[in-house]
Amino acid sequence: MWCRCACIDRGMKSKIITAIVALVIVALMGWGYYSNAQHRAHGHTSELNPKETIFEHLGDAYGWEVPFNHSLRIPLPIIVWGQDGLHCFMSNRITGGETYDGFKISTSEEHHGKVVQVMDDGTEVRPWDFSITKNVAGIAIAALLVIWMVMKLKRWYVRNGMKAPRGGTGFLELIVDFVYTDTIRPILGKHAPKYAPYLLTAFFFILTMNLLGLIVIFPGGANLTGNIAVTLVLALLTFLITTFSGTKEYWKEIFWPEVPMMLKCPVPMMQLIEVLGMFTKPLALMVRLFANMMSGHMVVLVLVLLIFIFTNLFGVGVGIGTSIFSVAFTLFMLLLDVLVSFIQAYVFTILSTIFISMALVEPHEHEAAK
Amino acid sequence: MELFTPEFGLVFWMFVAFLCLYFILAKWAWPFIIKSMEERADKIDKGVAVHQEAEARLKNARAEADKLLADARSEQADILREAAKMRNELIEKARNDAADEAKKVSQAAQVSLEQARKEAEKQLRTEVGDLALQIAEKVIRKNIANDDAQRALVDQYLSEVETKN
Repeated sequence: MWCRCACIDRGMKSKIITAIVALVIVALMGWGYYSNAQHRAHGHTSELNPKETIFEHLGDAYGWEVPFNHSLRIPLPIIVWGQDGLHCFMSNRITGGETYDGFKISTSEEHHGKVVQVMDDGTEVRPWDFSITKNVAGIAIAALLVIWMVMKLKRWYVRNGMKAPRGGTGFLELIVDFVYTDTIRPILGKHAPKYAPYLLTAFFFILTMNLLGLIVIFPGGANLTGNIAVTLVLALLTFLITTFSGTKEYWKEIFWPEVPMMLKCPVPMMQLIEVLGMFTKPLALMVRLFANMMSGHMVVLVLVLLIFIFTNLFGVGVGIGTSIFSVAFTLFMLLLDVLVSFIQAYVFTILSTIFISMALVEPHEHEAAK
Repeated sequence: MELFTPEFGLVFWMFVAFLCLYFILAKWAWPFIIKSMEERADKIDKGVAVHQEAEARLKNARAEADKLLADARSEQADILREAAKMRNELIEKARNDAADEAKKVSQAAQVSLEQARKEAEKQLRTEVGDLALQIAEKVIRKNIANDDAQRALVDQYLSEVETKN
């Protein structure tokens, strides 16, 4: 009886929450529309520039957009090492186009959208930029989320011992089990416990960043894994681990592989190919994750922009028709991106695992027998 | 192009963030989680094995118990049958014994009857002899010349004997 009541209660609660969220969204949209109209009324007419909009959304920024607002940004700290030392200030001092303390966001071709230091002679110099940009903040949020999730799973084991976790923790365990027991352990064998922390961390970090990127408003919306700097670091780490855990056999296979002498002796052809292979593997990791995630975002952006492009070209009627089509496809793309988020995180992990296992090669059977 | 040139600041922070994340999780979370999961997997595997064994054992035990019960039942039936047989035998034997005894008794009775008869006969004979002798004596003693008288006397004695008997 009590249980039934609780169930009805929960159903009611979720309905109420849905209603509240819907109301808030509708109110925000109304407010956004209103503020936009005000903006226009004051004579600011902004020409739609699809290319710029797309790259603005794909790229990094010095503040975090507030939904349904064109000018308001959540301020983030800017930390730059300029010609005259360290400068720290909040991004809202310069995102409006102002110059603060000799720094501004460049509009020039070379440093477009980046913080530059304006020199006395008017030239712009790019300082060492350690700003907590939107992407950096996004990375921090993703990292905290991962820590929270994983620690939650760990706490479950500490508190409940051998009981099977339920709900979200159970799902998390399922993923850990899938990645570790079904992927890392079979490939790495006895080395698995040594490399599992890195691989699992990478998997969950990538997955969280991928999924956060799909949420359009704060704390999501930063195109993290679709940014080459992020995938560069991840691929670099795999490269470093692979290189530093290489066995004697691994290096021997690179510099003195078992091939006919003429392929390796006067002209080091095989060596060249092998050394190139050392670098192309992490490079492929970097580009694969970056391209997959970025293209997903780009398709969604283009689909949404189609509404505005068609409205500008053919009027509101066509725009409404396009929006139905666009929203349906955007939804489909976003769902596909959820799938891609999992797949790419998994692919990165499994390939890293394979590269590490390749670096851990032991001498071949026939050689050991000699 | 801007998209394809990694930003130095982002690379730096990403590196820092990843290393922090890695050291925190590698130190406090992953080994413990993996260990716990493996332990639980082992435990579940073992549990399943134990359960299967127990089930098999239970099945065996049940079969064994059934067998024991059946054995006991058949044994009981055997014993009962044996007992019935024995009882019948006993009764039969008792009956036979009784019949034998009765036969013996009757035979003995017959023998003794015969003997008695023989003895009686013998006695009769001696008595008859004695009587005959007495008669003869009396006959001789009287010294009778008359045949008729002699015959009448014999008759008289004989009838005496008859009445006596």
